[in-house]
Amino acid sequence: MEMFISAVVSGLLMGMLFALVALGLAIIFGVMNIVNFAHGEFLMIGMYAAFLTATGLSIDPLLTLPVSAGLCFVLGVCSYYALVKYLLKGPMLAQLLGTFGLMIFLRYLAMAIFGPDYKTVEHGVLIGKSINWGPIVISYSKLGTAVISVLAFIIIFWIMNKTRLGMALKATALDVEAASYMGIDTEKMRGIAWGLGGASVGIAGALLMNFYYVFPTIGMLFVMIAFAVVALGGFGSIKGAFIAGLLMGLIIDLGGTYVGPQHKFALIYLTYFLVIVFRPQGLFGW
Amino acid sequence: MRALKDALSFGDLPIVERICFAAFIIFCFVFPWVTEGSFAQAVMIQFLVFCLYGLGWNLIGGYGGQVALGQAKNVGMAAYTVALLNVRWDVPFWFSTPLGVIIATVESFVLGYFLFRLKGHYFAIATICVSLVWQQLFINWDFIGGARGIELPLRETPNFVYMQFASPTYYHYFAFLLVLGAILFMNWFRKSKLGYQLRAINANEDLAESLGISIHWVKVKAYCITGIFAGMGGAFYAVYYNYIDPFSVMHLELSVMIALMTMIGGAGSMWGPIIGAMILIPLDRYLGAWLGGSGIVGVDFMIYSAMVMVIAAYEPRGIWGIIEKARRKR
Repeated sequence: MEMFISAVVSGLLMGMLFALVALGLAIIFGVMNIVNFAHGEFLMIGMYAAFLTATGLSIDPLLTLPVSAGLCFVLGVCSYYALVKYLLKGPMLAQLLGTFGLMIFLRYLAMAIFGPDYKTVEHGVLIGKSINWGPIVISYSKLGTAVISVLAFIIIFWIMNKTRLGMALKATALDVEAASYMGIDTEKMRGIAWGLGGASVGIAGALLMNFYYVFPTIGMLFVMIAFAVVALGGFGSIKGAFIAGLLMGLIIDLGGTYVGPQHKFALIYLTYFLVIVFRPQGLFGW
Repeated sequence: MRALKDALSFGDLPIVERICFAAFIIFCFVFPWVTEGSFAQAVMIQFLVFCLYGLGWNLIGGYGGQVALGQAKNVGMAAYTVALLNVRWDVPFWFSTPLGVIIATVESFVLGYFLFRLKGHYFAIATICVSLVWQQLFINWDFIGGARGIELPLRETPNFVYMQFASPTYYHYFAFLLVLGAILFMNWFRKSKLGYQLRAINANEDLAESLGISIHWVKVKAYCITGIFAGMGGAFYAVYYNYIDPFSVMHLELSVMIALMTMIGGAGSMWGPIIGAMILIPLDRYLGAWLGGSGIVGVDFMIYSAMVMVIAAYEPRGIWGIIEKARRKR
């Protein structure tokens, strides 16, 4: 029972981070129907940015949040204007393999620069401390990560739903042509969508750096989790991404506890597979 | 009979293409005489294997426009079947290969049956997912060697039954025969009903369906054929390298390589995969050999992912598309 509760708690906390990672993917997919395979690599770059600033300036990893968020925003915008803009004109195959190419490029660039080693940040306000609540142990870093993830999620949700920018983004998502007749600069909106997607995953990367190690091929793992989350929630649905993120966290931790840690990632993929076979539109899709 | 005639006649191709094809065949035929036992020959054999994979993938990915990124699992299944039967029960190559190919094909069929309910991006991600599941299973499954892989026992004398030869030249000719068979098959395929149906699906799925094409069934068929090609390549891989592990035959990177290679060469054209393999495999091997010493990892991957991005953005039909464009201008 205690094992169960601690798995649930840690699963929910991780789930909030997964939701934030998936949010970026959902925004990009929602606005222009393109899947960003390089999303996990954005996370990796966010993590490296956080790692380098934290160790280079010897500051707390939490303070590196704006750096990695900003960097990933710029990265997202740049990859839109330099690559994705042209990909959108081509067929499906080109769109898919184009972002796939970006993913491999970034991954091996990181490999060439940083080498294949695992790196962690060792000092920080949250690192290494935990609340012991009877048999349940909650680490500060996971708790803090979860709280900030939810905050970031809420802010982006607010931007998407309540501001003029968000409305313009939604209009672009619904009908590009009609939106451009209404005087919306759709090109810019798409660029911003990529930037927002990048920023959300950059925040997630800086947070993850508090308790996880970074290495060049980390992206694949998280992008697959994000795909699974987005598919479970319904592609393009922000609310769905949040709930599905929590569910996915639960699946990973409960699966890791009861099925065996070596199979927990196979479980994610299996979940994804079952979802798309039996309910392709996801929980909240249409 | 008609199919055989179609497969053997290259009459509808322009004369330049026919000459290039003949030159390619002669080149492959003569190659081992000049380079026996060298690094170049090893690269050549790898090139032929990748031609086989690429020609197969081109069917579903190029002609059909369905981005299936899971070739590696078919390669792996056949390779593992051959290796495992050889190690555990001494089954000859010629019995285990058909079995392995059948397993790979059945897997393709079952998977395709379910996954082709999805379209576009959803399909692509689903195939990645499935291949990652297989990859995880194979890494953690001790019966088949887990992450350590399987080593095939060496026979004392060169042995045709187990496909063990002293000289790589035999392997070269065997791979060459497979590729030649694949090219003839593709030559039949592009003129066949299935070929036209697939291209119609690629161009406009709804329209194809309204013309009475059973799109689901056609896609599944094409996917199975792709599985056969990959399976044959995998079986060959197992006996040629005498060693397989989940990272060399089951890995997602292999699937990605195959897709990117075909994309660079020109997806949906007859010669695209061969052109792609011709560029990427030597680049990969020679760059790897050249840079391996200096310790820079993955420069080869960076170069061809950059190529893929440029090609995807400016000329989605790949190098073959560029050639066609130049030809039309003239």
